[in-house]
Amino acid sequence: MRIGIVCPYSFDVPGGVQYHVRDLAEVLVGLGHQVSVLAPAEDEDGLPAYVVSAGRAVPVRYNGSVARLSFGPISATRVRRWLAAGNFDVLHVHEPVTPSLSLLAVLAARGPVVATFHTAMTRSRVMAAAQGALQLVLEKITARIAVSELARRVQVEHLGGGAVEIPNGVAVAKFAGAQPLPGWPGTGGAVGFLGRFTEPRKGFPILLDAVARLAPSRPDLRLLVAGPGDPDLVDSPADLDGRVVMLGRVSEEDKARMLASVDVYVAPNTGGESFGMILTEAMAAGATVAASDLDAFRRVLDGAGALFPVGDAPTLARTLGDLLDDPARRTELADRARKVVAAYDWPVVARRVLEVYATAIEATTGRVTTDESTVPLD
Amino acid sequence: MDGVWWVFGVVAVVLLVATYLTWTAGRVDRLHARVDAAYGALDAHLVRRAAAAAALAGTLAGEAVSLAAAARLALDAPAGEREIAENDLTRQLRVLPLPLDHPALGEVVVASRRAALARQVHTDVVRDALAVRRRKVVRLLRLARKHPMPTYFDVDDPALDAHRRVVA
Repeated sequence: MRIGIVCPYSFDVPGGVQYHVRDLAEVLVGLGHQVSVLAPAEDEDGLPAYVVSAGRAVPVRYNGSVARLSFGPISATRVRRWLAAGNFDVLHVHEPVTPSLSLLAVLAARGPVVATFHTAMTRSRVMAAAQGALQLVLEKITARIAVSELARRVQVEHLGGGAVEIPNGVAVAKFAGAQPLPGWPGTGGAVGFLGRFTEPRKGFPILLDAVARLAPSRPDLRLLVAGPGDPDLVDSPADLDGRVVMLGRVSEEDKARMLASVDVYVAPNTGGESFGMILTEAMAAGATVAASDLDAFRRVLDGAGALFPVGDAPTLARTLGDLLDDPARRTELADRARKVVAAYDWPVVARRVLEVYATAIEATTGRVTTDESTVPLD
Repeated sequence: MDGVWWVFGVVAVVLLVATYLTWTAGRVDRLHARVDAAYGALDAHLVRRAAAAAALAGTLAGEAVSLAAAARLALDAPAGEREIAENDLTRQLRVLPLPLDHPALGEVVVASRRAALARQVHTDVVRDALAVRRRKVVRLLRLARKHPMPTYFDVDDPALDAHRRVVA
Protein backbone atom coordinates (compact mmCIF):
# COMPACT_ATOMS: atom_id res chain seq x y z
CA MET A 1 0.00 0.00 0.00
CA ARG A 2 1.24 3.53 -0.71
CA ILE A 3 0.72 5.53 2.46
CA GLY A 4 1.22 9.28 2.89
CA ILE A 5 1.51 10.47 6.49
CA VAL A 6 1.53 14.12 7.57
CA CYS A 7 3.15 15.11 10.85
CA PRO A 8 2.35 18.71 11.90
CA TYR A 9 5.35 19.11 14.22
CA SER A 10 9.00 19.39 13.33
CA PHE A 11 11.00 16.17 13.44
CA ASP A 12 13.95 18.09 14.92
CA VAL A 13 12.10 18.61 18.17
CA PRO A 14 11.25 15.68 20.46
CA GLY A 15 7.55 15.15 21.08
CA GLY A 16 4.88 12.52 21.47
CA VAL A 17 3.24 13.04 18.08
CA GLN A 18 6.58 12.95 16.24
CA TYR A 19 7.62 9.71 17.96
CA HIS A 20 4.23 8.24 17.19
CA VAL A 21 4.52 9.13 13.49
CA ARG A 22 8.10 7.86 13.31
CA ASP A 23 7.32 4.53 14.99
CA LEU A 24 4.17 4.00 12.94
CA ALA A 25 6.00 4.79 9.69
CA GLU A 26 8.84 2.41 10.54
CA VAL A 27 6.51 -0.44 11.46
CA LEU A 28 4.50 0.08 8.27
CA VAL A 29 7.69 0.05 6.21
CA GLY A 30 8.65 -3.14 8.04
CA LEU A 31 5.31 -4.67 7.04
CA GLY A 32 6.18 -4.00 3.40
CA HIS A 33 4.28 -0.77 2.74
CA GLN A 34 5.60 2.28 0.93
CA VAL A 35 5.47 5.19 3.33
CA SER A 36 6.21 8.87 2.85
CA VAL A 37 6.04 11.23 5.81
CA LEU A 38 5.66 14.95 5.21
CA ALA A 39 6.87 17.01 8.16
CA PRO A 40 8.43 20.40 8.83
CA ALA A 41 12.17 20.14 9.37
CA GLU A 42 14.84 22.69 10.06
CA ASP A 43 17.66 20.63 8.66
CA GLU A 44 17.07 18.17 5.86
CA ASP A 45 20.21 16.15 6.58
CA GLY A 46 19.83 13.44 9.14
CA LEU A 47 16.15 12.92 8.45
CA PRO A 48 15.02 9.31 8.01
CA ALA A 49 14.77 8.30 4.34
CA TYR A 50 10.96 8.19 4.39
CA VAL A 51 10.60 11.82 5.56
CA VAL A 52 9.99 14.64 3.09
CA SER A 53 10.70 18.08 4.49
CA ALA A 54 8.03 20.74 4.11
CA GLY A 55 10.47 23.48 5.05
CA ARG A 56 11.19 25.05 8.37
CA ALA A 57 8.58 25.50 11.03
CA VAL A 58 7.78 28.72 12.79
CA PRO A 59 6.85 28.92 16.45
CA VAL A 60 3.17 29.74 16.85
CA ARG A 61 1.34 30.39 20.09
CA TYR A 62 -1.70 28.16 20.16
CA ASN A 63 -3.97 26.94 22.93
CA GLY A 64 -1.66 28.19 25.64
CA SER A 65 1.52 26.60 24.38
CA VAL A 66 4.06 27.20 21.64
CA ALA A 67 3.92 24.84 18.70
CA ARG A 68 6.36 24.79 15.82
CA LEU A 69 4.23 24.69 12.72
CA SER A 70 4.39 25.17 8.99
CA PHE A 71 1.45 27.09 7.65
CA GLY A 72 1.01 29.42 4.73
CA PRO A 73 1.05 29.55 0.93
CA ILE A 74 4.55 28.07 0.56
CA SER A 75 3.69 25.15 2.79
CA ALA A 76 0.42 24.71 0.91
CA THR A 77 2.28 24.46 -2.39
CA ARG A 78 4.67 21.87 -0.98
CA VAL A 79 1.76 19.85 0.39
CA ARG A 80 0.10 19.83 -3.03
CA ARG A 81 3.31 18.84 -4.77
CA TRP A 82 3.91 16.03 -2.27
CA LEU A 83 0.34 14.78 -2.69
CA ALA A 84 0.54 14.88 -6.48
CA ALA A 85 3.88 13.06 -6.56
CA GLY A 86 2.93 10.50 -3.92
CA ASN A 87 -0.04 8.88 -5.69
CA PHE A 88 -1.08 7.51 -2.28
CA ASP A 89 -3.71 4.87 -1.62
CA VAL A 90 -4.46 6.57 1.66
CA LEU A 91 -3.54 9.83 3.36
CA HIS A 92 -3.05 9.75 7.14
CA VAL A 93 -2.89 13.12 8.89
CA HIS A 94 -2.18 13.77 12.56
CA GLU A 95 -3.85 16.53 14.60
CA PRO A 96 -5.65 18.05 11.61
CA VAL A 97 -7.70 20.73 13.34
CA THR A 98 -4.81 22.94 14.39
CA PRO A 99 -3.44 25.33 11.75
CA SER A 100 -0.75 23.05 10.40
CA LEU A 101 0.55 20.99 7.50
CA SER A 102 -2.05 18.38 8.40
CA LEU A 103 -4.87 20.85 7.93
CA LEU A 104 -3.39 22.00 4.62
CA ALA A 105 -3.11 18.40 3.47
CA VAL A 106 -6.73 17.63 4.36
CA LEU A 107 -7.93 20.69 2.45
CA ALA A 108 -5.74 19.87 -0.54
CA ALA A 109 -6.63 16.19 -0.80
CA ARG A 110 -9.52 14.22 -2.12
CA GLY A 111 -9.99 10.52 -1.54
CA PRO A 112 -9.41 8.26 1.47
CA VAL A 113 -8.23 10.42 4.38
CA VAL A 114 -7.60 9.06 7.86
CA ALA A 115 -7.00 11.44 10.76
CA THR A 116 -5.55 10.71 14.18
CA PHE A 117 -6.42 12.97 17.11
CA HIS A 118 -3.82 12.86 19.87
CA THR A 119 -4.64 15.54 22.37
CA ALA A 120 -7.77 15.66 24.38
CA MET A 121 -8.05 19.35 23.64
CA THR A 122 -11.40 20.95 23.99
CA ARG A 123 -12.71 23.21 21.34
CA SER A 124 -10.62 26.33 21.27
CA ARG A 125 -11.92 29.77 20.51
CA VAL A 126 -10.26 29.70 17.11
CA MET A 127 -12.19 26.62 16.21
CA ALA A 128 -15.48 27.90 17.58
CA ALA A 129 -15.09 31.10 15.58
CA ALA A 130 -14.58 29.17 12.38
CA GLN A 131 -17.27 26.52 12.61
CA GLY A 132 -17.94 26.58 8.87
CA ALA A 133 -14.25 26.20 8.04
CA LEU A 134 -13.90 23.45 10.62
CA GLN A 135 -16.77 21.54 9.04
CA LEU A 136 -14.95 21.82 5.69
CA VAL A 137 -11.94 20.08 7.20
CA LEU A 138 -13.88 17.45 9.12
CA GLU A 139 -16.09 16.43 6.23
CA LYS A 140 -13.05 15.62 4.12
CA ILE A 141 -11.85 13.09 6.67
CA THR A 142 -13.08 9.60 5.91
CA ALA A 143 -12.15 7.88 9.16
CA ARG A 144 -11.03 9.25 12.49
CA ILE A 145 -8.81 7.65 15.09
CA ALA A 146 -8.48 8.82 18.69
CA VAL A 147 -5.52 7.60 20.74
CA SER A 148 -7.42 7.54 24.01
CA GLU A 149 -10.92 7.33 25.39
CA LEU A 150 -10.60 10.97 26.46
CA ALA A 151 -9.55 12.10 22.97
CA ARG A 152 -12.44 10.09 21.55
CA ARG A 153 -14.89 11.73 23.93
CA VAL A 154 -13.67 15.17 22.85
CA GLN A 155 -14.32 14.11 19.26
CA VAL A 156 -17.87 13.10 20.01
CA GLU A 157 -18.72 16.06 22.21
CA HIS A 158 -16.90 18.93 20.53
CA LEU A 159 -16.31 18.06 16.92
CA GLY A 160 -19.37 15.92 16.33
CA GLY A 161 -18.86 12.49 14.93
CA GLY A 162 -17.21 9.43 16.31
CA ALA A 163 -13.74 8.01 16.22
CA VAL A 164 -12.17 4.62 16.49
CA GLU A 165 -10.05 4.31 19.59
CA ILE A 166 -6.61 2.92 18.78
CA PRO A 167 -4.04 3.50 21.52
CA ASN A 168 -0.53 4.82 21.13
CA GLY A 169 1.87 2.05 20.30
CA VAL A 170 4.97 1.19 22.24
CA ALA A 171 8.05 -0.54 20.83
CA VAL A 172 7.91 -3.37 23.35
CA ALA A 173 11.06 -5.12 22.08
CA LYS A 174 13.11 -1.94 22.52
CA PHE A 175 12.07 -1.64 26.17
CA ALA A 176 11.96 -5.32 27.09
CA GLY A 177 15.61 -5.85 26.18
CA ALA A 178 16.98 -2.87 28.11
CA GLN A 179 19.78 -3.46 30.62
CA PRO A 180 19.62 -1.76 34.04
CA LEU A 181 22.06 1.09 34.63
CA PRO A 182 25.22 0.00 36.49
CA GLY A 183 24.59 -0.37 40.21
CA TRP A 184 20.80 -0.41 39.93
CA PRO A 185 18.36 -1.40 41.32
CA GLY A 186 20.52 -2.47 44.26
CA THR A 187 19.27 -4.30 47.32
CA GLY A 188 17.79 -1.48 49.38
CA GLY A 189 14.91 -0.74 47.03
CA ALA A 190 14.78 1.59 44.05
CA VAL A 191 11.87 3.75 42.99
CA GLY A 192 11.69 5.58 39.65
CA PHE A 193 10.06 8.67 38.20
CA LEU A 194 10.25 10.04 34.68
CA GLY A 195 8.96 13.36 33.41
CA ARG A 196 9.03 17.10 34.00
CA PHE A 197 9.34 16.99 37.77
CA THR A 198 8.84 20.75 38.08
CA GLU A 199 5.40 20.56 36.46
CA PRO A 200 2.78 20.37 39.25
CA ARG A 201 0.40 18.00 37.44
CA LYS A 202 3.15 15.39 37.20
CA GLY A 203 2.88 15.08 40.98
CA PHE A 204 6.58 14.67 41.76
CA PRO A 205 6.31 16.30 45.24
CA ILE A 206 3.79 13.60 46.20
CA LEU A 207 6.36 10.93 45.39
CA LEU A 208 9.10 12.82 47.27
CA ASP A 209 6.82 13.05 50.30
CA ALA A 210 6.08 9.33 50.14
CA VAL A 211 9.74 8.40 49.79
CA ALA A 212 10.62 10.70 52.73
CA ARG A 213 8.09 8.80 54.84
CA LEU A 214 9.77 5.51 53.97
CA ALA A 215 13.34 6.79 54.29
CA PRO A 216 13.83 6.49 58.10
CA SER A 217 13.02 2.76 58.12
CA ARG A 218 14.81 1.99 54.83
CA PRO A 219 18.36 3.30 54.91
CA ASP A 220 19.25 2.17 51.39
CA LEU A 221 16.09 3.18 49.54
CA ARG A 222 16.89 5.33 46.49
CA LEU A 223 14.89 7.38 44.02
CA LEU A 224 15.94 7.53 40.35
CA VAL A 225 14.60 10.52 38.44
CA ALA A 226 14.85 11.26 34.72
CA GLY A 227 13.42 14.24 32.90
CA PRO A 228 14.15 17.81 31.91
CA GLY A 229 14.12 20.48 34.58
CA ASP A 230 16.30 22.28 37.09
CA PRO A 231 16.94 19.99 40.11
CA ASP A 232 17.51 23.08 42.28
CA LEU A 233 13.87 23.97 41.90
CA VAL A 234 12.88 20.75 43.62
CA ASP A 235 12.13 21.29 47.26
CA SER A 236 13.62 18.04 48.50
CA PRO A 237 13.25 17.08 52.18
CA ALA A 238 16.60 17.16 53.98
CA ASP A 239 16.55 13.50 55.02
CA LEU A 240 16.60 12.49 51.33
CA ASP A 241 20.10 13.87 50.84
CA GLY A 242 22.10 11.60 48.59
CA ARG A 243 19.15 9.32 47.93
CA VAL A 244 17.69 11.10 44.93
CA VAL A 245 19.63 10.51 41.71
CA MET A 246 18.79 12.94 38.91
CA LEU A 247 19.65 11.84 35.38
CA GLY A 248 18.35 14.95 33.66
CA ARG A 249 16.93 14.63 30.15
CA VAL A 250 17.61 11.13 28.84
CA SER A 251 17.82 9.60 25.37
CA GLU A 252 15.18 7.05 24.46
CA GLU A 253 17.66 4.27 24.98
CA ASP A 254 18.53 5.51 28.46
CA LYS A 255 14.86 5.92 29.21
CA ALA A 256 14.41 2.19 28.64
CA ARG A 257 17.47 1.44 30.79
CA MET A 258 16.24 3.77 33.51
CA LEU A 259 12.87 1.97 33.60
CA ALA A 260 14.66 -1.37 33.85
CA SER A 261 16.71 -0.04 36.78
CA VAL A 262 13.97 0.38 39.37
CA ASP A 263 11.92 -1.98 41.50
CA VAL A 264 8.83 0.18 41.29
CA TYR A 265 8.01 2.87 38.75
CA VAL A 266 5.70 5.55 40.13
CA ALA A 267 3.33 7.78 38.14
CA PRO A 268 1.97 10.19 40.77
CA ASN A 269 0.23 12.47 38.21
CA THR A 270 -2.62 14.57 39.50
CA GLY A 271 -4.48 14.90 36.19
CA GLY A 272 -4.27 16.08 32.62
CA GLU A 273 -3.17 12.72 31.27
CA SER A 274 -5.22 11.47 28.37
CA PHE A 275 -3.38 8.26 27.73
CA GLY A 276 -0.38 7.43 29.91
CA MET A 277 2.28 6.57 27.36
CA ILE A 278 4.92 6.34 30.07
CA LEU A 279 2.98 3.54 31.76
CA THR A 280 3.02 1.36 28.65
CA GLU A 281 6.76 2.01 28.38
CA ALA A 282 7.34 1.09 32.02
CA MET A 283 5.21 -2.03 31.57
CA ALA A 284 7.18 -2.98 28.45
CA ALA A 285 10.44 -2.52 30.36
CA GLY A 286 9.19 -5.00 32.95
CA ALA A 287 8.89 -2.50 35.79
CA THR A 288 6.27 -2.86 38.50
CA VAL A 289 4.01 0.17 38.28
CA ALA A 290 2.33 2.19 41.01
CA ALA A 291 0.12 4.93 39.57
CA SER A 292 -2.42 7.45 40.77
CA ASP A 293 -5.94 6.28 40.29
CA LEU A 294 -6.70 8.38 37.20
CA ASP A 295 -9.20 7.16 34.63
CA ALA A 296 -6.58 7.00 31.89
CA PHE A 297 -4.08 5.14 34.06
CA ARG A 298 -6.62 2.62 35.32
CA ARG A 299 -7.61 1.79 31.74
CA VAL A 300 -4.05 1.36 30.53
CA LEU A 301 -2.88 -0.70 33.52
CA ASP A 302 -5.91 -2.99 33.42
CA GLY A 303 -5.00 -4.49 36.78
CA ALA A 304 -1.29 -4.84 36.01
CA GLY A 305 -0.11 -2.34 38.61
CA ALA A 306 -0.93 -0.83 41.97
CA LEU A 307 -3.21 2.21 42.10
CA PHE A 308 -3.33 4.79 44.88
CA PRO A 309 -5.70 7.73 45.42
CA VAL A 310 -4.63 10.85 43.50
CA GLY A 311 -2.36 13.11 45.60
CA ASP A 312 -2.33 10.77 48.61
CA ALA A 313 1.31 10.55 49.74
CA PRO A 314 0.71 8.43 52.90
CA THR A 315 -1.14 5.78 50.90
CA LEU A 316 1.54 5.87 48.21
CA ALA A 317 4.18 5.35 50.89
CA ARG A 318 2.26 2.33 52.21
CA THR A 319 1.79 0.96 48.68
CA LEU A 320 5.49 1.38 47.91
CA GLY A 321 6.52 -0.23 51.20
CA ASP A 322 4.28 -3.24 50.55
CA LEU A 323 5.58 -3.66 46.99
CA LEU A 324 9.23 -3.30 47.99
CA ASP A 325 8.80 -5.97 50.68
CA ASP A 326 7.02 -8.40 48.39
CA PRO A 327 9.15 -9.47 45.41
CA ALA A 328 6.64 -12.19 44.51
CA ARG A 329 3.86 -9.63 44.18
CA ARG A 330 6.14 -7.41 42.05
CA THR A 331 6.92 -10.30 39.72
CA GLU A 332 3.25 -11.16 39.49
CA LEU A 333 2.32 -7.57 38.54
CA ALA A 334 5.21 -7.29 36.07
CA ASP A 335 4.20 -10.58 34.40
CA ARG A 336 0.66 -9.39 34.04
CA ALA A 337 1.96 -6.06 32.72
CA ARG A 338 3.87 -7.85 29.97
CA LYS A 339 0.63 -9.52 28.84
CA VAL A 340 -1.38 -6.31 29.00
CA VAL A 341 1.24 -4.31 27.11
CA ALA A 342 1.27 -6.82 24.25
CA ALA A 343 -1.93 -5.14 23.03
CA TYR A 344 0.03 -1.86 22.75
CA ASP A 345 2.97 -3.31 20.85
CA TRP A 346 3.51 -1.32 17.65
CA PRO A 347 3.04 -4.19 15.20
CA VAL A 348 -0.34 -4.98 16.83
CA VAL A 349 -1.37 -1.32 16.85
CA ALA A 350 -0.17 -0.79 13.26
CA ARG A 351 -2.34 -3.67 12.04
CA ARG A 352 -5.37 -2.01 13.61
CA VAL A 353 -4.41 1.24 11.85
CA LEU A 354 -4.12 -0.68 8.57
CA GLU A 355 -7.68 -1.94 9.06
CA VAL A 356 -8.83 1.65 9.35
CA TYR A 357 -6.91 2.46 6.13
CA ALA A 358 -8.68 -0.41 4.39
CA THR A 359 -12.04 0.83 5.68
CA ALA A 360 -11.34 4.36 4.45
CA ILE A 361 -10.28 3.10 1.04
CA GLU A 362 -13.43 0.99 0.67
CA ALA A 363 -15.63 3.88 1.71
CA THR A 364 -14.31 6.24 -0.96
CA THR A 365 -13.66 5.92 -4.62
CA GLY A 366 -10.17 6.09 -6.02
CA ARG A 367 -6.79 7.08 -4.64
CA VAL A 368 -5.70 10.25 -2.94
CA THR A 369 -5.60 13.13 -5.41
CA THR A 370 -5.20 16.85 -5.08
CA ASP A 371 -8.47 18.66 -4.87
CA GLU A 372 -8.39 21.42 -7.47
CA SER A 373 -11.78 22.75 -6.53
CA THR A 374 -10.98 23.95 -3.05
CA VAL A 375 -12.52 27.38 -2.66
CA PRO A 376 -13.00 27.79 1.08
CA LEU A 377 -15.02 30.97 0.79
CA ASP A 378 -17.15 30.48 3.85
CA MET B 1 -15.71 54.97 -18.58
CA ASP B 2 -17.89 54.45 -15.50
CA GLY B 3 -20.04 52.03 -17.45
CA VAL B 4 -17.08 49.80 -18.22
CA TRP B 5 -16.15 49.52 -14.53
CA TRP B 6 -19.75 48.70 -13.78
CA VAL B 7 -19.61 45.86 -16.25
CA PHE B 8 -16.30 44.64 -14.84
CA GLY B 9 -17.69 44.72 -11.30
CA VAL B 10 -20.84 42.85 -12.21
CA VAL B 11 -18.88 40.24 -14.19
CA ALA B 12 -16.47 39.74 -11.25
CA VAL B 13 -19.32 39.28 -8.77
CA VAL B 14 -21.15 36.92 -11.10
CA LEU B 15 -17.97 34.91 -11.59
CA LEU B 16 -17.36 34.68 -7.86
CA VAL B 17 -20.93 33.63 -7.13
CA ALA B 18 -20.86 31.09 -9.95
CA THR B 19 -17.58 29.63 -8.73
CA TYR B 20 -18.94 29.38 -5.21
CA LEU B 21 -22.15 27.70 -6.38
CA THR B 22 -20.30 25.25 -8.62
CA TRP B 23 -17.98 24.41 -5.78
CA THR B 24 -20.86 23.96 -3.33
CA ALA B 25 -22.73 21.76 -5.81
CA GLY B 26 -19.57 19.66 -6.20
CA ARG B 27 -19.26 19.42 -2.45
CA VAL B 28 -22.86 18.20 -2.17
CA ASP B 29 -22.31 15.64 -4.94
CA ARG B 30 -19.07 14.35 -3.45
CA LEU B 31 -20.57 13.89 0.00
CA HIS B 32 -23.52 11.96 -1.41
CA ALA B 33 -21.22 9.79 -3.52
CA ARG B 34 -19.25 9.03 -0.37
CA VAL B 35 -22.46 8.11 1.49
CA ASP B 36 -23.18 5.55 -1.25
CA ALA B 37 -19.64 4.16 -1.21
CA ALA B 38 -19.61 3.96 2.58
CA TYR B 39 -22.96 2.16 2.59
CA GLY B 40 -21.67 -0.29 0.00
CA ALA B 41 -18.69 -1.11 2.20
CA LEU B 42 -20.84 -1.47 5.32
CA ASP B 43 -23.29 -3.70 3.46
CA ALA B 44 -20.46 -5.93 2.21
CA HIS B 45 -19.01 -6.42 5.69
CA LEU B 46 -22.40 -7.16 7.23
CA VAL B 47 -23.09 -9.77 4.54
CA ARG B 48 -19.66 -11.22 5.13
CA ARG B 49 -20.34 -11.35 8.85
CA ALA B 50 -23.71 -13.06 8.41
CA ALA B 51 -22.18 -15.60 6.02
CA ALA B 52 -19.38 -16.31 8.50
CA ALA B 53 -21.94 -16.65 11.30
CA ALA B 54 -23.99 -19.09 9.23
CA ALA B 55 -20.88 -21.15 8.50
CA LEU B 56 -19.97 -21.09 12.19
CA ALA B 57 -23.48 -22.20 13.17
CA GLY B 58 -23.07 -25.13 10.75
CA THR B 59 -19.95 -26.32 12.55
CA LEU B 60 -21.40 -25.91 16.03
CA ALA B 61 -24.43 -28.16 15.37
CA GLY B 62 -27.29 -28.49 17.81
CA GLU B 63 -26.52 -25.61 20.15
CA ALA B 64 -26.47 -22.98 17.40
CA VAL B 65 -30.01 -23.13 16.00
CA SER B 66 -30.78 -19.57 17.00
CA LEU B 67 -27.47 -18.34 15.58
CA ALA B 68 -28.18 -20.03 12.26
CA ALA B 69 -31.66 -18.48 12.21
CA ALA B 70 -30.31 -15.01 13.05
CA ALA B 71 -27.67 -15.25 10.33
CA ARG B 72 -30.29 -16.35 7.79
CA LEU B 73 -32.62 -13.49 8.78
CA ALA B 74 -29.80 -10.95 8.51
CA LEU B 75 -29.01 -12.15 5.01
CA ASP B 76 -32.66 -12.17 3.87
CA ALA B 77 -34.07 -9.15 5.72
CA PRO B 78 -35.84 -6.58 3.52
CA ALA B 79 -34.59 -2.99 3.71
CA GLY B 80 -36.85 -1.85 6.56
CA GLU B 81 -36.05 -4.79 8.81
CA ARG B 82 -32.35 -5.13 8.17
CA GLU B 83 -31.25 -3.14 11.22
CA ILE B 84 -33.30 -5.23 13.64
CA ALA B 85 -32.00 -8.43 12.05
CA GLU B 86 -28.37 -7.26 12.25
CA ASN B 87 -28.78 -6.26 15.90
CA ASP B 88 -30.25 -9.66 16.63
CA LEU B 89 -27.26 -11.33 14.98
CA THR B 90 -24.88 -9.18 17.06
CA ARG B 91 -26.67 -10.30 20.22
CA GLN B 92 -26.51 -13.95 19.19
CA LEU B 93 -22.79 -13.66 18.49
CA ARG B 94 -22.14 -11.96 21.82
CA VAL B 95 -23.73 -14.77 23.85
CA LEU B 96 -21.83 -17.54 22.10
CA PRO B 97 -20.19 -19.74 24.73
CA LEU B 98 -16.79 -19.48 23.03
CA PRO B 99 -13.79 -17.32 23.89
CA LEU B 100 -13.12 -14.61 21.29
CA ASP B 101 -9.75 -16.08 20.37
CA HIS B 102 -11.28 -19.47 19.56
CA PRO B 103 -10.12 -20.42 16.05
CA ALA B 104 -13.67 -21.15 14.85
CA LEU B 105 -14.59 -17.52 15.56
CA GLY B 106 -11.76 -16.01 13.52
CA GLU B 107 -13.72 -14.93 10.46
CA VAL B 108 -16.72 -13.77 12.50
CA VAL B 109 -14.55 -11.61 14.78
CA VAL B 110 -12.70 -10.00 11.87
CA ALA B 111 -15.88 -9.38 9.87
CA SER B 112 -17.55 -7.88 12.95
CA ARG B 113 -14.63 -5.57 13.56
CA ARG B 114 -14.59 -4.44 9.96
CA ALA B 115 -18.35 -3.93 10.04
CA ALA B 116 -17.92 -1.77 13.14
CA LEU B 117 -15.33 0.41 11.38
CA ALA B 118 -17.48 0.67 8.27
CA ARG B 119 -20.48 1.64 10.39
CA GLN B 120 -18.49 4.43 12.02
CA VAL B 121 -17.33 5.79 8.67
CA HIS B 122 -20.85 5.58 7.22
CA THR B 123 -22.39 7.36 10.21
CA ASP B 124 -19.82 10.18 9.97
CA VAL B 125 -20.35 10.80 6.28
CA VAL B 126 -24.15 10.67 6.62
CA ARG B 127 -23.90 13.32 9.32
CA ASP B 128 -21.70 15.49 7.08
CA ALA B 129 -24.04 15.04 4.10
CA LEU B 130 -27.08 15.97 6.19
CA ALA B 131 -25.19 19.02 7.50
CA VAL B 132 -24.40 20.25 4.00
CA ARG B 133 -28.03 19.69 2.95
CA ARG B 134 -29.11 22.01 5.76
CA ARG B 135 -27.05 24.90 4.41
CA LYS B 136 -29.17 27.81 3.23
CA VAL B 137 -27.71 28.04 -0.25
CA VAL B 138 -28.15 24.29 -0.78
CA ARG B 139 -31.79 24.37 0.30
CA LEU B 140 -32.59 27.56 -1.58
CA LEU B 141 -31.16 26.37 -4.88
CA ARG B 142 -32.11 22.74 -4.21
CA LEU B 143 -28.57 21.63 -4.98
CA ALA B 144 -29.22 18.24 -3.38
CA ARG B 145 -32.41 17.53 -5.32
CA LYS B 146 -30.97 14.73 -7.43
CA HIS B 147 -29.76 12.82 -4.36
CA PRO B 148 -32.05 10.88 -2.05
CA MET B 149 -31.91 11.96 1.60
CA PRO B 150 -29.09 10.00 3.27
CA THR B 151 -30.17 7.91 6.24
CA TYR B 152 -28.26 6.54 9.19
CA PHE B 153 -27.90 2.80 9.42
CA ASP B 154 -28.99 2.55 13.00
CA VAL B 155 -27.44 -0.56 14.54
CA ASP B 156 -25.55 -1.29 17.75
CA ASP B 157 -21.77 -1.45 17.54
CA PRO B 158 -21.23 -4.88 15.96
CA ALA B 159 -17.65 -5.23 17.26
CA LEU B 160 -17.34 -8.31 19.44
CA ASP B 161 -14.03 -7.29 20.98
CA ALA B 162 -15.06 -3.69 21.64
CA HIS B 163 -14.63 -4.28 25.33
CA ARG B 164 -11.04 -5.16 25.82
CA ARG B 165 -10.44 -8.73 26.79
CA VAL B 166 -9.15 -9.26 30.29
CA VAL B 167 -5.93 -11.20 30.07
CA ALA B 168 -5.40 -14.02 32.49
